[in-house]
Amino acid sequence: MDANASARLKKRGSAWALNIALFISMLIICLPGLWIVLNSLRPTVEIMAKPPVWIPRELSFDAYVDMFSGVGQGGIPVVAYFRNSVIIAVTSTIISLAIGMSGGYAFARYRFKGKSAWFLGLMLTRTVPGIALSLPLFFLYAKVGLIDTHAGMIIAYTALNVPFSIWLIDGFFRQVPRDLAEAAQIDGCTRWQAFWQVEFPLARPGIASAGIFAFLTSWNEFALASQLTRSTDSKTLPVGLLDYTAEFTIDWRGMCALAVVMIIPALLLTYAVQKHLVSGLTSGAIKG
Amino acid sequence: MATLTLSTLDKKYGGFHAVKGIDLEVADGEFVALVGPSGCGKSTTLRMIAGLEDISGGELRIGERVVNDLPPRDRNISMVFQSYALYPHMTVAENMGFSLKIAGRDAATIDTAVKEAARILDIELLLERRPAQLSGGQRQRVAMGRAIVRDPDVFLFDEPLSNLDAKLRGQMRTEIKQLHARLGSTVVYVTHDQIEAMTLADRIVIMRGGVIEQVGTPDEVFNRPASRFVASFIGSPPMNMAEATVTRGALHFDDGTEVPVPPTFTVAEGRRVVLGLRPDDVYPEGHGIHSESGHAVDSRELPVKLSEPLGNETLLFTEFGGENWTARMLNPRVVKRGEVLRFHLDLSRAHLFDAETGLTLRG
Amino acid sequence: MKASRLPPHIMLLLPAVIVLAAVVVLPLLLSLWSSFTPFRLTRPESVYQFIGIRNYQRIFGDMDFWIAFGRTVLLLTVALNLEMLIGLGLALLVDRQTRGQRLLRTILMFPMMFSPILVGFQFKFMFNDNVGLVNNALQSLGLTDKAIPWLIDGKLAFLAIAAAEIWSSTAVFAIFILAGLMAMPRDPQEAARVDGCTPWQTFRYVTWPFLMPFAFIAMTIRSLDVARAYDIIKIMTDGGPAGRTEVLWTLIARTAYSDARMGMANAMAYVAILLSVAFTAYFFSQLGKARAQVAGDW
Repeated sequence: MDANASARLKKRGSAWALNIALFISMLIICLPGLWIVLNSLRPTVEIMAKPPVWIPRELSFDAYVDMFSGVGQGGIPVVAYFRNSVIIAVTSTIISLAIGMSGGYAFARYRFKGKSAWFLGLMLTRTVPGIALSLPLFFLYAKVGLIDTHAGMIIAYTALNVPFSIWLIDGFFRQVPRDLAEAAQIDGCTRWQAFWQVEFPLARPGIASAGIFAFLTSWNEFALASQLTRSTDSKTLPVGLLDYTAEFTIDWRGMCALAVVMIIPALLLTYAVQKHLVSGLTSGAIKG
Repeated sequence: MATLTLSTLDKKYGGFHAVKGIDLEVADGEFVALVGPSGCGKSTTLRMIAGLEDISGGELRIGERVVNDLPPRDRNISMVFQSYALYPHMTVAENMGFSLKIAGRDAATIDTAVKEAARILDIELLLERRPAQLSGGQRQRVAMGRAIVRDPDVFLFDEPLSNLDAKLRGQMRTEIKQLHARLGSTVVYVTHDQIEAMTLADRIVIMRGGVIEQVGTPDEVFNRPASRFVASFIGSPPMNMAEATVTRGALHFDDGTEVPVPPTFTVAEGRRVVLGLRPDDVYPEGHGIHSESGHAVDSRELPVKLSEPLGNETLLFTEFGGENWTARMLNPRVVKRGEVLRFHLDLSRAHLFDAETGLTLRG
Repeated sequence: MKASRLPPHIMLLLPAVIVLAAVVVLPLLLSLWSSFTPFRLTRPESVYQFIGIRNYQRIFGDMDFWIAFGRTVLLLTVALNLEMLIGLGLALLVDRQTRGQRLLRTILMFPMMFSPILVGFQFKFMFNDNVGLVNNALQSLGLTDKAIPWLIDGKLAFLAIAAAEIWSSTAVFAIFILAGLMAMPRDPQEAARVDGCTPWQTFRYVTWPFLMPFAFIAMTIRSLDVARAYDIIKIMTDGGPAGRTEVLWTLIARTAYSDARMGMANAMAYVAILLSVAFTAYFFSQLGKARAQVAGDW
């Protein structure tokens, strides 16, 4: 009976320890986000207070009101940045999805020489650090007049997103059995119809998540945007965030509020696709 | 080798009561099969014995040792899984020797044990392969080899043959039986296939809804089923049944037919009962298994609705007491659809169950 | 789809190839050329002046460059390994929970939604010596009464940057390894327990070989955009103070845009590109090996 009792104790003890470890990890993951939300609602004096104020005494939405009232505190045109971000992210997402679908379908359905080399080659273009790419792009864009335009950013982000979209969409098309398209062709569809009537609807959730992934990449990108944009004509939110840092002072509260504005669309979208995102990326892991 | 004792063993998953306080004693070297429909708690019971499932209540002993809370590794058992659960990244030899390696045996010992097990199971040529390169039957053998190598106190089998095709299943059944005869080990074998249970086991445990319906030798559960459920679960084709009311010493079926109360039973007037007769005990005159001499036989003319010739015998389908019954015809001749034959119902071999509780009315 | 002269797969791949050629390959060729010139933004004509490998000679002899290079490799190695370990631990912790998995998974993904620039800013705020959460907490708990200069001391700043990087990217590993745990058959694990394995042995001999492809796919994906760390560092310290946290990418940005020495910066950029490619290629080949090990049944 002793062995049983100690085995039971050990099992219970380790279960508790592991639950506590999980709880602490989750806390650490959530803490920075909560800290930001909290500070976007606190007056600056409270943020700066020494000794620190732990329990907020007054909360207000002033920072958000300032931000969207056009020329608010410090005159940062958040609305324009927001609009630029949306236009650039959405357009580049749509284009890279179209290109990604076509490329992903080619990898998923056709056999050809040097297929894996092509695949690896496309992926490797993604490894080029944004800052390294920004140097020649800056030069090229300056020549053709794309600096500080929506079009310039859209083209750059499309190229950034294509490799990953291909990877994801390839994975999703592979999960759709080949037989289905063949059955549809026997039922009288052309290859083109078979794709749109059968394969596309089945892969749609995956394609949607590839789209959202592309959107997030564009939405969050900084290294390229910081060099290729100049003014309210094309500056995106991540670049706009820097407006809050002056030479020696930082408007912590305003920055926190802008951070919250940036994170909310990303949060909603990621939540919507979390399931498909992982399955698309891993389907390639198992069957090469 | 060791005995295995389950006392009021209980398993609850939240609100669901999967195993309801079962008692079972497995003798040293005995082969016990747990059968029942899916969800009856047989696999859960096996997994509790293995230590893969926490025990909610009661006591489990292997030999003299209470093992309720011990992890699987301290129970000295081995298990053959339904999916075989071979380690895909190890060769057959590594798979089989894995438990010994974990136990810290030296390479030579492991090698000897693996070779010996491979010889018994006739898989010596496969030792260097990976599981992915094996057929279903070969994987099955490797899984058994892995269990043998360990030389455990108790062998556990969880529906080991259900992923094989019918022919291979028959062959492996024979091999498992031979293996048991040779090793003389204590075995608990879970299956949903009553034929496997009947052919392999010394004793059969029939479970339903988390409780044991009957424990007995294959002969007992076949010939003296404790309940209507056991009667219908064991035997193929299943036992014919029809509900009746006892009136003036006879069974009155709902469609108006009448047969005498079977001789070995005494039942009160007006009681609702179920008559059960195996297909062997319903046969056309001159085509039965048993002789009629000394048996209470009820004879009647019935039209044949359908016949299934199987070569050595033919199954005949007819209607009796408002139910579809099956009769077994030995030394068959061609029977046309709708043909009226004279059937013998061997009432001396009949079973009577209470219509409400389903329990046998045998004294 | 009319019968076209080119085979369909080429037609399908063409748009991707064109875009990538125009926006990535062509500019890279351009920058390759300019890395052999003394090109300065202020003197556009200097792009036609070929000086051979002088830029490369100069950076290879430049101590600051090598320090930044070493720091980059160190950061990547430390961060990627820790991310993998912590991610694995998190995945195992979440996996054993029977209830609330969906919620836990969503929380796990939380940092993935943060733009690196936001992560940098967040941690800059938290590690701020004056108003940051970390110092506030340490002081309120009475562990110290000084303001620890997290982002000013070189070593501490490296730690702070690594912490930010790990916070933001561990999720990738956790999510992929969790996906692996959910996809893997449970029977072999149970068989291992019956075979006498302790929980650690079960993990070591059975679970981990199954998970390896997932861990490496996460590694590969992560290595595709390790340079995102630039955003974090740019915000947190911008390589400073006085170059004490300078990594390859901040050095490139400074050389190119502050000093306007494009040719030199492009030479450095090529080293950074090769570094990224090397990381990716290494993990990609590891992925292939791990996959071959458990292939077959899957």
